[in-house]
Amino acid sequence: MPLKYLDKYPKKAWRSLWVLKPMWVTLKKMFKTTLHRPVTIMYPYEKEWIPDNYRGRPGLKFEKCIGCGICERMCPTKCIDIVDADDNGKTVQRPQVFLGRCMMCGYCAEYCPVNAMIVTPDYELAAYTREELVYGPRKLAWPNATEMMEVHLEERLLSDVKRGETGKNVAFYSVDRPELHAKLCISCQRCAKVCPTDAVEMYEAGVNDKGKPIKLPRFDNDRCVCCEKCMDVCPKDAITIKEVL
Amino acid sequence: MGYSSILDWVKFNDPMLNEFYAYKVYNLPYDIGYKLWELIGGALAWLINLIFPGNGFSVTLISSDLLSNFFAIVFMVVVIFAVAFLINLTMIWEERKVLGRMMDRRATRIGPLGYLQNLADGLKTFLKENITPDKADKKGYMWALTLVIGTSVLLACMIPLSHRWFIVDYNTGLLLIFGLFAIAPFMILVAGWAQNNKYSLLGGMRAAAQMISYEVPILLVFASVALMAGSFNINDIVNMQAETMWFIIPQILGFLVFIVAAIAEAERIPFDLPEAEAELVEGWQTEYSGMKWGLIMLGDYFRGYVACALIVILFLGGWYLPFFDVGMQQDWLPEIVFLLKVFLVFFVFIWVRAAHCRVRTDQILNIGWKVLLPLSVINLVIAAVITYGGWL
Amino acid sequence: MADMWITMGPQHPFSHGLWTLKIRADGEIVKEAEPVVGYLHRGWEKECENRTYPLIIPMADRLCYSASMTWAHVYCKVVEEALEVELSDRAKYLRVIADEICRIQSHLMWLAAMGTDLGNLTIFLWALREREFFLDLNVKLCGQRLTTNYPRIGGVRNDMPYLFERDCMRVVDRFEKVMWEIVAMMDGSSIFLSRMRGVGVINRKDAANYGLTGPVMRGSGVDFDIRRDDPYCNYDQLDWEVAVSKDGDAYARYAVRIEEMFQSCEIIRQAMVKLKGLPRTDPVRFKVPRKVPAGTHFARLEDPRGESLMYLISDGTDKPYRLKVRSPIFVNVSASKHFVEGVRIADIPAIMGTLDMCLGETDR
Repeated sequence: MPLKYLDKYPKKAWRSLWVLKPMWVTLKKMFKTTLHRPVTIMYPYEKEWIPDNYRGRPGLKFEKCIGCGICERMCPTKCIDIVDADDNGKTVQRPQVFLGRCMMCGYCAEYCPVNAMIVTPDYELAAYTREELVYGPRKLAWPNATEMMEVHLEERLLSDVKRGETGKNVAFYSVDRPELHAKLCISCQRCAKVCPTDAVEMYEAGVNDKGKPIKLPRFDNDRCVCCEKCMDVCPKDAITIKEVL
Repeated sequence: MGYSSILDWVKFNDPMLNEFYAYKVYNLPYDIGYKLWELIGGALAWLINLIFPGNGFSVTLISSDLLSNFFAIVFMVVVIFAVAFLINLTMIWEERKVLGRMMDRRATRIGPLGYLQNLADGLKTFLKENITPDKADKKGYMWALTLVIGTSVLLACMIPLSHRWFIVDYNTGLLLIFGLFAIAPFMILVAGWAQNNKYSLLGGMRAAAQMISYEVPILLVFASVALMAGSFNINDIVNMQAETMWFIIPQILGFLVFIVAAIAEAERIPFDLPEAEAELVEGWQTEYSGMKWGLIMLGDYFRGYVACALIVILFLGGWYLPFFDVGMQQDWLPEIVFLLKVFLVFFVFIWVRAAHCRVRTDQILNIGWKVLLPLSVINLVIAAVITYGGWL
Repeated sequence: MADMWITMGPQHPFSHGLWTLKIRADGEIVKEAEPVVGYLHRGWEKECENRTYPLIIPMADRLCYSASMTWAHVYCKVVEEALEVELSDRAKYLRVIADEICRIQSHLMWLAAMGTDLGNLTIFLWALREREFFLDLNVKLCGQRLTTNYPRIGGVRNDMPYLFERDCMRVVDRFEKVMWEIVAMMDGSSIFLSRMRGVGVINRKDAANYGLTGPVMRGSGVDFDIRRDDPYCNYDQLDWEVAVSKDGDAYARYAVRIEEMFQSCEIIRQAMVKLKGLPRTDPVRFKVPRKVPAGTHFARLEDPRGESLMYLISDGTDKPYRLKVRSPIFVNVSASKHFVEGVRIADIPAIMGTLDMCLGETDR
């Protein structure tokens, strides 16, 4: 591979006396841009084309969201809060984004297990007050959401590669599952209450010394999205996440 | 005198018949001013006559030769300044437009073809806060500014647009223009000192150094042109070129020297060291804010106009075109021809600005003393040989 | 004229960012110089100790606005070394392409700033016009122009989008044609050459002793490029040359950067060909554990500005115990005393412009 520029660049002093070349180049450019149009895009009147996967502000599909809080946990700037929202008279948990702090990394959309968080091509976010920048669950909606605006987290398991399997991509929310250390559990049932997908079911595992039933959580692997809410809420740290690698 | 109509008072006399007429030849701006005063003064006289019929005041005073002459000169000055200002605006517009096209971008946008952008910018500059630094030498600060802008505007007004568009038809016109041209860099030095700012001081020092090294070749080129034309009178120089040939042909060296030196004197980009924004924030203008800065920029363009006009007058045949009869051209619009030439020369200035980087301090002095000065001396010798050899 | 101290910065047109160069000037000659950095200190390294490993990637983008891809890359690389994860070929080539796009747009940004430093706005606008095409490639590839957030621990964010290869080839071909036009603006101008030739000379030995890296070092004749001498991401399987110039002045650094842009185009072209040979079903991203085993690791790679290095101490949790950044500009700017003393004030923008300052990564 030869050098393209360094071999050509002027080393001789007599070539340095040349001053007309840049003038010729600029003159050519002037005629070109006078005949055609300069490359400028007159911004407020016309806008650059941006693809669907452009990471503007985050958007939310309200119906799809399950309120698991993974976006809140994965936000690098902690600009997402899970707040109570009204869904036809029912109180549900939905994310609210403070765009003054959002840095448009797209992690919320990438890690969302149900693809309810999307990236939108909306980048004109100036507001007069800070309060206007707090986008509630309804304001986050983006009406023209397309398929491309969802960001899918596609990872390959290293164990699969070792076994020679190809073509199967997973995400952590589809393989990582909570695991119970039954000795530590005090049957408080908080994990069952907090689970956003009702994947925790309490079953009777027997009776204790006093004859009262011991209730232990059982995790439904199909419904679980690995949001770690049960792990966070457990008072005795009886639940850990078992990672599949 | 009839008292029936305003037309009795508005006569549109020939101004040269006025006994106080100051010029020997026909002067177009004076004529415009004279006609304007006849319109305004005539209307005034008519109104006064309607209210106080037969007072004699209107006849003896308002439409007298003396007062007509006085107001004609006042209006003439206003007309000449307005035209110079319009030329200046057009040059700024040309610079922004051409520079924009060369840089592959849209330039000005407001108004037809973006012409009103300058006015919008002027308005915006006008609304800026007018700050005077606390520790500045107030007198030097303001006087230097005033003289820089004032001499630039005065110069631009003193440039004749044609044989009939001038303020004074002076035998040492070229020297006068050059003397005024050389005042501004001194004032820049004073301004740099008075602002109590190190960047301004450095800018002022650079301006002084640049001025000293570039006025010598300019003077030598002036001398060679005057030698060839046999006069310092601008009208004579232009007439001489119309009779023989454009001085660019025998004095191509002088033309090149002058164009470089004129860019340096107008402080435009290859030689804009006094305001080099990369190292000295805004050079000697750093502490001038708001409309003061706006006026400085305007003054800069006035000086650029003067430099272009001098090139046109000295080398490019002034307001005459070649291959046409001079007497015939005097009846056309020589002002337009002159301005077109000025804009063409200014295009070269813009072009150089778009294509080249800024020169360093020592290099600019090297170019001035080691290249331009010998070349201008050679040019003087050539001019002398041609003139006294009788080949012109 | 008596000596006077001039404080150039922190808000000054020549300092591309917040830093100060204090100079003692005797008229136009600089007698003494002292760089002052630290105006932009944001506690980046400390903040990283408070975030889990994946969340640091978008923050690494913010280290330098025009080299975001390589900074995220070097962070991912150090975590991958800690986790002992080997990338797939597809991810490696995608990273190569992204890095080289980043390198070209960063060098174009430098060229633009260089143009304004020398007083030529045409170079500025032409270079930024070309840069726009590469930023558009960034948008297509990963969704944003500057803060790309593209590399991930264990791979990259996504595979190439539809028709990306075609767009990429078009942009690269166009760039190689138009770049000669822009180069003619500078190499054809004796004013540019006289401004750049023979100023800010640093010889081979001094460059090595100051610890300069990147184009500044290669401009003074040290033939060293991490992409070739400590290869990562299959750079050793591509056929390209390291740009080295022996002169050591500002012009040599300029020439090295221009040559690097052309070489980057070649690298992109070859990586695209290699990428085409790989099956589309190959993984671009491996699932990595959240917790990094305890240990100390470092990784380095060739940033557009020099050698960027990250040093990681992990303590077995999902957050780093310490993350240290070695910024090339921080080292290069420390040599500014050597560069600036004895030159004229008018040379300072020309010399400092060729260092390609970026204060985000210097002060961190």
